[in-house]
Amino acid sequence: MSSPRNRALTADVCVIGAGAGGAVVAAELAEGGARVVVLEQGGEHSTDDFTARPPEMLARLYRDGGQTITLGDPPIGLPLGRGLGGTTVVNSGTCFRTPPHVLERWRSDFGLELDERSLGPCFERVERSLSVAEVAPELAGANAAVARRGAERLGWSHGYLSRNARGCVGSGVCAYGCPTGAKQHTGITYVPRARAAGATVVTGADVRSIDVRAGRARGVEARLADGARLTVEAATVVVAAGTIHTPLLLERNELGRASGQLGRNLSLHPATAAFARMDELVDMARGVPQSFYVDEFAAEGIMLEGIAGPPAYAAMALPLTGRRHAEAMASYRQLAQFGLMVSDSSRGRVRSVAGRPLIRYDLDDADVARFRSGIARLEQLFVAAGAREIFLPLPSGTRPQAARRRDLKLMAFHPLGTARADARPSHGVVDGDLALHGVEGVYVADGSVVPSALGVNPQLTIMALATRLAFHLLDREVSSDTRPGVGMPA
Amino acid sequence: MNPGFDAFVAAGPWPQRLGTRALVALARRPRGMALLRLLSPADQLGTSLVAIARYDDPAVSRPLGWDAAAVIARGRTLRSHEGRL
Repeated sequence: MSSPRNRALTADVCVIGAGAGGAVVAAELAEGGARVVVLEQGGEHSTDDFTARPPEMLARLYRDGGQTITLGDPPIGLPLGRGLGGTTVVNSGTCFRTPPHVLERWRSDFGLELDERSLGPCFERVERSLSVAEVAPELAGANAAVARRGAERLGWSHGYLSRNARGCVGSGVCAYGCPTGAKQHTGITYVPRARAAGATVVTGADVRSIDVRAGRARGVEARLADGARLTVEAATVVVAAGTIHTPLLLERNELGRASGQLGRNLSLHPATAAFARMDELVDMARGVPQSFYVDEFAAEGIMLEGIAGPPAYAAMALPLTGRRHAEAMASYRQLAQFGLMVSDSSRGRVRSVAGRPLIRYDLDDADVARFRSGIARLEQLFVAAGAREIFLPLPSGTRPQAARRRDLKLMAFHPLGTARADARPSHGVVDGDLALHGVEGVYVADGSVVPSALGVNPQLTIMALATRLAFHLLDREVSSDTRPGVGMPA
Repeated sequence: MNPGFDAFVAAGPWPQRLGTRALVALARRPRGMALLRLLSPADQLGTSLVAIARYDDPAVSRPLGWDAAAVIARGRTLRSHEGRL
């Protein structure tokens, strides 16, 4: 029974979080016949509310207004999405499958039986759901054309990125909410599918506890925005609160701690970008901001990818001050920008301090060397493209090879690994089926389970793993008399 | 500075937003900016914060070829014609 202020729901599966992992697992489970309740801490974002104005959208669509910062040397900005769709609402939409060499490493180092053949159907299913396709050159914009010209002149391997977009017209504000509804984020794809299949989706639900008794999940308790308490009775709980918040939730519930790995092994893709003033009109925000890549140095852990945005974004990112900043912004229409991200060997840790995540992450020497090398390559790229002036993300007068750790101006994306999968209970938080070691009925389905850096954008990996988990749960955990037969995705 | 920027600052985690407000207050004044230059990279951060508000202003961004209202209007038209979410 529920009191007027309290609510109670019953489900086969309670999913905590509705981002890249949670939304996918919820939709697949609901369509497979399971009774699903989704609890999302953030709100629901309507495309009608998007304004294409960065400050306002940062405040609305991002956790902590996009101002999450890691503590360490150097401090690094780590923007995270919040609400239905999670970070898929505000990412660039770039889609890569997990590279085969990464899967091989997962097998050898973590005992995970995942390979291209077994994950292939999951990737195909996700790609179909999200309309993943390569960006057409005419949509890529002049910013990508500058990078392409440089890469071609240098003979560097390059290409157009694949993205989850349908009917994109190159609005240039992927990171601030797609105003045309072209980006197929999980908030407009998997969440509506979950609802259509009967799932209950509750927003503004702050999960306080996961009820585990006698070694078995029993349900979840959350506090709603109006102060009411919501209890969900469910024998299966899927935690998908994201790489930063999932370990905090598990820790608070004294779950997943046996290996000592919970909250550790945080991997990021630290990133930076350079600007160049060109002779030609670039209008960087016209076209797909992240449409083009250079993977010539991928084996060194350096991936060059497009990045761009409207003047407010460029002004924030431009590594200049005072008169030089104003002069560069006066020529915004001629500014090009290109980024680099590093497949890190550094590892960080997430801990809870007064209920909030404290993220410690120090860049190791190898990653500093990757940045020195990568920034030099960005400079080469723009020189080859015919740049009139180049603005590197370093203090004035500092050459890339002389850059110190504290000279680097970094953002980071794609946090992974804080509840890593490892077949051995002594080494990982979840097993190869993403089940929490030592507990029945608690699973994790977000970036936290990914045990190593990918070197590429991770949303497709997270979604494929979530798909695989959903079909596994339909086979093992959900009563067969309430659902049709399913099997693995075809 | 403008409602969008104020919301952005307010969305930051405490006590970070106190620091942000102080930084913005300094970066908007020539003497404050001179002080921040002594504390590099605080001058870069201050510049970035003031700049995001300044260049978000349609009166500043339109002459630079960016019209957020037009981008949104095009999106609405496309969505209503094609029934997108």
